[in-house]
Amino acid sequence: MNWKHIHALALRHLYPLKRDFDLLSDLAYWPLIDTVLWGVTSQWIADASGISGVALGILLGLVLWNVIWRSQSEVSRNLMDEIWNNNLVNIFSTALTVKEWVVSVLLLSFLKMMITMCILVPAVYLLYSINVLQLGLWLVVFFIGTTLTGWWIGFLSAGIVLRHGQRMQTVIWTLPGILLPFSAVFFPLDRLPSFLQPVSRLVPTTYIFETMRAIVAGAPVDEGSLLYSFGLNILFLSLAVWFFVRSFAHSKRLGLGRFNT
Amino acid sequence: MKTSLEINQLRKVYPPEKKGGDEFVAVNDISFKLKQGQILGLLGPNGAGKSTTISMLLGVLTPTSGEIRYFGKQFEDHRSEILNQVGFASTYIAMPWRLTVWENLRVYALLFGLEYGEFVKRAEKFLSKFGVWQQRNKMMNQLSAGQTTRIMLAKAFIPHPKIALLDEPTASLDPDIAHEVRRFVRDQREQHGTSILYTSHNMDEVADLCDDVLFLRKGEIVAQDTPENLARSISKAKVRLQVIDGLKRIERFACEQSLSAETKGREVVLEIDEQKVAKFLMQLADEDIHYSQISIDKPTLEDYFLSMSI
Repeated sequence: MNWKHIHALALRHLYPLKRDFDLLSDLAYWPLIDTVLWGVTSQWIADASGISGVALGILLGLVLWNVIWRSQSEVSRNLMDEIWNNNLVNIFSTALTVKEWVVSVLLLSFLKMMITMCILVPAVYLLYSINVLQLGLWLVVFFIGTTLTGWWIGFLSAGIVLRHGQRMQTVIWTLPGILLPFSAVFFPLDRLPSFLQPVSRLVPTTYIFETMRAIVAGAPVDEGSLLYSFGLNILFLSLAVWFFVRSFAHSKRLGLGRFNT
Repeated sequence: MKTSLEINQLRKVYPPEKKGGDEFVAVNDISFKLKQGQILGLLGPNGAGKSTTISMLLGVLTPTSGEIRYFGKQFEDHRSEILNQVGFASTYIAMPWRLTVWENLRVYALLFGLEYGEFVKRAEKFLSKFGVWQQRNKMMNQLSAGQTTRIMLAKAFIPHPKIALLDEPTASLDPDIAHEVRRFVRDQREQHGTSILYTSHNMDEVADLCDDVLFLRKGEIVAQDTPENLARSISKAKVRLQVIDGLKRIERFACEQSLSAETKGREVVLEIDEQKVAKFLMQLADEDIHYSQISIDKPTLEDYFLSMSI
């Protein structure tokens, strides 16, 4: 592992942050818009239903969903950025290895996700007097779980693009979307139609959001289901990275130059 | 002279695009050597396999079979170590447009393991040499095509590579800058012993710069020699005459002798074996054909290219 290569890729993706409004909007603008929208909606639902903890549950769900979104987006968007810039051949005709690329996007993803959280958590507190940090150490557990989920979605979608070409780039935005209803982000699992619930049980984030709601409601935490979720995440991440590396090798058989426009 | 790069039986076959279609042989068992300090031209019409070959040499395209050895080492087994000594520039590849020239070069210098101080020294030198120092803080999308090409060249040479793979590096450059680039490439070879694989569509440039030329056609090497010898292998010279009297006779004479002739107004251009030009001119005198101007163009590398590309 050559850390100069990791440093180079970090600079390559951090330099544009100073001036690129697309990137800044992904980092702060959309998460803030979501916060305002869902914050008001959740408070209205809480007032109308009279159920305590609804607003807190929805807003915590929003924050954790942003962790998934940011971490997956960084992995797949970094690949797309190289493709859109005709830069894939440039970087991979140097001594850079795929392993170093993977490590660099993971680090960048973590860094940018933390920046988003540093904006979102105080915003939720200032706007709705909800302290996300009240979850304490559980928050760390949830962050780790959702970050792992974001990463495997990112590697899966990046692998699909590498394998099938740019025409498949839509998976970068649609794949996380498919998981949203099955993850029970904003509602309990038992509200999902019963025939869809088995699918939800295969999604690691379901257990994270269910546990989060249990803590908010003051119910006991099912540590076994969190362990199961963690195991699923590790399994899916391993498979996704394996798929990505295989797709990269497949793409090299067809030539990375084919992505040049 | 040491061999910097050796290619043996390199082959690339693309699978069929559709089920039941034919596979495509882009490069067919080519072998060649690039010696230390040599400038080797890679010539051929579009689709000949030049870019495919360069892609395989850069490790961004996996060969179907064959062997690539840099500095005596297998490329497959020593990829990172080797690519750290290989510079690459192409007119057809871009650099991230949201970064400035300086930022882009900094990123590439780091990928080659260059310390910041050394990078600054070299970047200043190369950007000044190519006349783009003033553009260093501009975004890549604010540059002209010619400026971008020069930045790509700076990117390729800042790490002081032992081998440079240059894919049409002077395309889109003004003649004076192209001349400067050619001088720079020669300097790199002389000062650092850099071996260079060079593709270009400018035949004069290849003839001027390259020690040897490899001619590719349909994925195969059809010739390898010095530019002069390749040009000499085309024995036909072009004789251009401004005819005053005897235009019909000269056309008939060309027809009888099975010579290729092209008439435009009173100008006739004939293709004749170099050794037979003197005899031909004597025959014109015998036929009482009068001309006011004559020029004899010796065969060039471009003539060779045209004859081989058909």
